Amino acid sequence: MYKFLLCTRYLQTRFLAFVCIVSVMLGNSTLIVVNSVMSGFATKLKDRLHGISADASIDTERFSGFSESPDSMTARIMASPAGRHVEAVSPTVEVFGMLQFRRKDRSGEDVVDVKKIMISGVDPAKHAKVGGFSQYLTRQKNRPNPSFDLTQEARERYERNRALDFPDFPANPSTAREPKPDFFKDPIVVPQNPLAPPPTIAPPVLDALPPPKPVGIVLGYSLAHYRYTDPHTNEVKEIEVIKPGDHVMIVTLGVTGDAPVSRTFVVVDYFQSQMSEYDSMFVYVPLDELQKMRGMGDKINSLQMKFRPDSSQPLYMKQVLVPELQKLFPPPDSRVSTWQDKQSVLLAAIDVERGLLNLLLFLIVGVAGFGILAIFTMIVSEKYRDIGIMKSLGASSGGVMSIFLGYGFLLGAVGCILGTGLGLAITKYINPLESFLTKLTGTALFPRDVYYFDAIPTNVDTLAVALVNIGAIAVAVIFSVLPALRAARLHPVRALRFE
Amino acid sequence: MLRAENITKTYRRHADSVRVLNDLSFSVKDGEFVSIVGASGSGKSTLLHLLGTLDQPDSGTISLDGKRIDNLPGKERDRLRNETFGFVFQFYHLLPELTALDNVLMPAYIRHTALGWWKNRRTWRKRGLDLLNRVGLGQRVRHKPREMSGGEMQRAAVARALLARPRLLLADEPTGNLDVETGGEIVHLLRDLNRDDGVTIVMVTHNLELAAATDRVVRMAGGKIVPATEDRTGASFRPTLSMAG
Repeated sequence: MYKFLLCTRYLQTRFLAFVCIVSVMLGNSTLIVVNSVMSGFATKLKDRLHGISADASIDTERFSGFSESPDSMTARIMASPAGRHVEAVSPTVEVFGMLQFRRKDRSGEDVVDVKKIMISGVDPAKHAKVGGFSQYLTRQKNRPNPSFDLTQEARERYERNRALDFPDFPANPSTAREPKPDFFKDPIVVPQNPLAPPPTIAPPVLDALPPPKPVGIVLGYSLAHYRYTDPHTNEVKEIEVIKPGDHVMIVTLGVTGDAPVSRTFVVVDYFQSQMSEYDSMFVYVPLDELQKMRGMGDKINSLQMKFRPDSSQPLYMKQVLVPELQKLFPPPDSRVSTWQDKQSVLLAAIDVERGLLNLLLFLIVGVAGFGILAIFTMIVSEKYRDIGIMKSLGASSGGVMSIFLGYGFLLGAVGCILGTGLGLAITKYINPLESFLTKLTGTALFPRDVYYFDAIPTNVDTLAVALVNIGAIAVAVIFSVLPALRAARLHPVRALRFE
Repeated sequence: MLRAENITKTYRRHADSVRVLNDLSFSVKDGEFVSIVGASGSGKSTLLHLLGTLDQPDSGTISLDGKRIDNLPGKERDRLRNETFGFVFQFYHLLPELTALDNVLMPAYIRHTALGWWKNRRTWRKRGLDLLNRVGLGQRVRHKPREMSGGEMQRAAVARALLARPRLLLADEPTGNLDVETGGEIVHLLRDLNRDDGVTIVMVTHNLELAAATDRVVRMAGGKIVPATEDRTGASFRPTLSMAG
């Protein structure tokens, strides 16, 4: 009973105890905040990586694509044991290429920009079903059936651009069509005089050529926008370099791999996953147009799949579904991989980074532990006489040790409770806090142009919080062992005589 | 009741050694109030610590009711100190974080687990309050040591020593830090406790006048008990019960 009584009384009355509590609290809250932010980044990154990728895909390295048609491939999958786990498939052609477009420079002159890109030929409705494609479209956001059709706004700009580029070309061919000339109604009269000059025949008025039907393209957001930080206001600004309705040209290699092919597309939408690598690389075009352009017929080089929710657990996919599919499409012509396999390096890097940061930050709690050791040593020295009197009243050495171990535990526990509260509060209000600190210091602590995140992402992982707390309490107890041992081994007579 | 036979105690520090007790024998009878007097360094306090099992003699034996207690294992020694002995020290040694009542109840807190305390808490609290009233601190129950005078603190220390109804009270210069009048009050209190409650008391003191209030005065010098005939002070060691205060 006296152990508990003295632990709590020491906690209430000692200023040094307060110092220990604050050091544990700060270490604990720092760990929780950093963990939550790191976890937030990792979760958001994983969500996005998963969002832009299907659960799994069957790919081929062959430039001409699979020898089998996508319908046949799908039928084989559906007939296999893996078929009942598949919710949706999206035949896709993925190929590297270049994007060329015109823009005005600062002096108003036309300049040509060329960027390297990854071209994805997709059926938008099918592709939206296998991943978060529609979720990341800026103008057709979350539409169940997105399309490459021009919106009213894009069509108007497209017409305006055409009128500027081809002033003689009718904007609307139906209204410009002349009546067909009737050559038989008005026969040519041959003059009787053979020496007379030949009659002038008026050229026939032909049908106006219909303008080419615009084919839509979805551009990665960063391809179409230039993002910069205003040096005067420090605000992140964007310039829309390519607008919906503008035409762009993409160039890639044909199916034989030895001749470049190109085609003009009209921008209908942007793809904004907030992953700069994807937003600055990916363009989506209609699957049939890309196949036609490359001369692939109906062939594809990637079949993307979404599994049913209960089947899309990483371990199940890796251990059951992937081997099953790999049997149907054997290597080396085909490769079956999950989205985690494709992003394995990045995902592993995130985990390693998080683990390393945790380890380094735990040293903060270690430093707090040394603080506890120093302060406890002082407290034990101060309490020599109390230890002597307790022993003279019958307290055992083990009992005296328990007082200081319990004291260490209590300091750790109170520090952890306060630290968890502070850490969770900072995590919750980290964005207002960041804005405040940015205003105060004039330096952006979280530059939006680096991460393309609107806010600092956070994710409070209950297990991580629990582990941090257990670790901090353990450190507090471990560092109080030495002073507690010293107190326990104190000879009662020497303790009573201590001046 | 308590008997020490041929005990020696030497304190060593590196190469130096000081023999504090030298083949000393001493005994206390049940219900006796004995005072030990002597100059500083004569070994009075060391003898008291050995009698109270706070320390162990280098040689010789100490026995309580014929049973050796100097070689008891740690746990039994702790129990003996908690249940059979009561200690009063010169510097009171109250725990500053606790109230007067909690200080008095400390032996009970040490004896019981939290559950055991919870079961017996009423009995102990009543005993603690009774003792505080008995030593004249009924109004100081909730006061911390820093809010009390030296005499009050020493009376609280006496109450603490008596809580567990010890058979033997060992007082190490209980008046050493008090003025003459307050010191007299403390010895008077001890005298009353001895007479009324039958508590056996061994008190170490410098003050010959206060020692005169006890049943028997033992003089120590050079680590030994000095026989009455060798006493060079000439003071009478017969008990004088007419104490002032």
